[in-house]
Amino acid sequence: MSDAFSQLSVLGSSLTLIFGLILLWRRGVPAYISAFAAQSAVLAGVAAVVAHFGREAELYWVAALLFLVKAVAIPKLLRDMERRFGTERELQPYVNTATSLVVAGLLVLFGYAIMRPLVAVSRLPTRAAMPLAMALVLVSLFVMISRKKALTQVVGFLMLENGIALLAILGTYGIPLIIELGVFLDALLGFIVMQIFVYQIHDTFETIDVEQLNRLRH
Amino acid sequence: MLLAPPVLSALLALAVTPYRVGVGWVNAGLSLLPVLSALTLWSRLLSGEIVTAGRGEFFRADALSTLLALCVSVVGALAAWLGPGLGADDGYDAGQARRFRVFANLFAFTMLLAVTTNNVGFMWVAIEATTITSAVLIPLHVNKASVEASWKYILIASVGIALAFAGTVLAYFDFVNVAGRQEAALNWTVLRAAAPSLHPDVVRIAFVFLLVGYGTKAGLAPMHTWLPDAHSEAPAPLSAMMSGVLLAVALYAVIRWETVVQAAVGPAFTDRLLLGLGLLSLAIAAFSLLAQRNYKRLLAYSSVEHTGLMCVGLGLGPLGAFATMLHLVNHTLVKSALFFLSGRVLRRYHSTEIARVSGLLRVLPWTGGLFAAGTLAIAGLPPFGLFISEFALVRAGVAAGRPWTVALVLMLLAVAFVGVVGHVNRMLYGTPSSGVGAGEESVWPLVPLALCLAAVVVLGLTIPAPLERLLAQAAEIAGK
Repeated sequence: MSDAFSQLSVLGSSLTLIFGLILLWRRGVPAYISAFAAQSAVLAGVAAVVAHFGREAELYWVAALLFLVKAVAIPKLLRDMERRFGTERELQPYVNTATSLVVAGLLVLFGYAIMRPLVAVSRLPTRAAMPLAMALVLVSLFVMISRKKALTQVVGFLMLENGIALLAILGTYGIPLIIELGVFLDALLGFIVMQIFVYQIHDTFETIDVEQLNRLRH
Repeated sequence: MLLAPPVLSALLALAVTPYRVGVGWVNAGLSLLPVLSALTLWSRLLSGEIVTAGRGEFFRADALSTLLALCVSVVGALAAWLGPGLGADDGYDAGQARRFRVFANLFAFTMLLAVTTNNVGFMWVAIEATTITSAVLIPLHVNKASVEASWKYILIASVGIALAFAGTVLAYFDFVNVAGRQEAALNWTVLRAAAPSLHPDVVRIAFVFLLVGYGTKAGLAPMHTWLPDAHSEAPAPLSAMMSGVLLAVALYAVIRWETVVQAAVGPAFTDRLLLGLGLLSLAIAAFSLLAQRNYKRLLAYSSVEHTGLMCVGLGLGPLGAFATMLHLVNHTLVKSALFFLSGRVLRRYHSTEIARVSGLLRVLPWTGGLFAAGTLAIAGLPPFGLFISEFALVRAGVAAGRPWTVALVLMLLAVAFVGVVGHVNRMLYGTPSSGVGAGEESVWPLVPLALCLAAVVVLGLTIPAPLERLLAQAAEIAGK
């Protein structure tokens, strides 16, 4: 049974990483939003799996919250934004697709390297999946620095948060619920403020291309 | 009593629409309560009592917390008394004043929460919330520069703080792995006690994440890029809060984790990282100061410089920790006063370009005089307190057997000195720019700022015994 648990956690984590990689080779914002929604749903699934096999009732709540906030509510808000700036696509990122994928591959390896000491000391059945969570964190960071549209950066940031949430679920079977609630509140408020700023950028610069944000130097 | 007044003020400002001047005054009055309660914490601490509250010691005010709470509440009160919305014509309309009152109070609340909670997970939640509450206020005047600054700020700070969360999770992972799951596992006191049994490799990785994460928020190079933009585009009271205390609060988080990691893997590892990042920040800031054309950015880079300096101090053992604590208090007082003053300069000259400001001493004699005094203080001249704390830092470096670090610090401080004093000199003298009338509008807002600077002069001459004990206790926590 613990075998099935281990395999399910690796499968789920791999899926979240693959949804993260979609940002590197697709160009349309709608695809990014769908990828994020799907990733969040899988993340909620992983949380539920850990809750079931690890017998952590609190994690069911986390799974439900993850699903509601990140797989339903935030994607809906993102789609509203996307409809307003519909014509702006991520046409020319700073790094092209082929290079991006190579970099992502290296980052995944790097994730494994970083997490080696942790995997070595852990006795949890989920330990094999932890490097994948770290890889998702690193790949999301890369997305944020290599893309130009404000909206893409927001999705990158949300995926980064997913990566860390996955790490917490796999490594510790969830952080204490009270902290988890605080984190959710911060994530939601942070997203709403970012959303306001994207609208402000759009209104003042008439584009959401952050390359235009270059007034402040030195 | 420490945490409730800012929340009450924020709720009041939120409830009263449209904004009324009375709300501002109630807020100003309430803002004195946290200062009082921080002073109470201090006096109880001196009689040997560490105040705790909440289930499982959720709140805990040791010397380090008390020191930070004092700094935050003082600057919070300054912002409440000198911020927009007190009736005078200050260039903000009622809606902006209301937004300021709501979010500045929430901002102060989140900072106070961050420094008084014993739970490092909740500390993270509070520090992340400081980003949100302060970012909203940067574009109080919506224009291209302020929108750009706020976007960079929220994006870079959120990513940084997310990495700090990853670090927190990694440390928690190790704790759970060693000691099993328990309610109080994220309490700093519990972590600190369990630290020697943690796995060194895991703790090292966690600390790198935590240092990069909270270091981003503290404005350490190379993650400082958001800071000059955000601090220079924000309205003056917010700049004062961000530069004066938010950086210190982020540094506080670094210190809390540093002590845990030191207990787990010894001081050599954390010292090396802190010295490296500190010196890099100092170097980048010193040379950026030379090249500045904008006086608010000048002040912002000076904050990077001083955070770097504090970080170096943390890497220099117990003596260095004491120097850091003293420097933190000095910097908080001087830098927030300078940012408030810069707001007055901006109101008169309508420009943040150094080249557009001249004859400041003739146009605004009092503001200019205080600005000059603050500049000399921030540059580290005697008789101001920063001279003493920088001297203490140098002595700590010599005592720790790091002559090269000391030499480098002194050289960079000299560069920063030339940068700051040279630029401000150009603003103070010369013929007033055309179309700028002479004479102060109202002098009373200068009184608290003059008091801040006077306090720094006192700290330069002697450290009062109660403060010395508080600093020493805080340094003991940080330097162990």
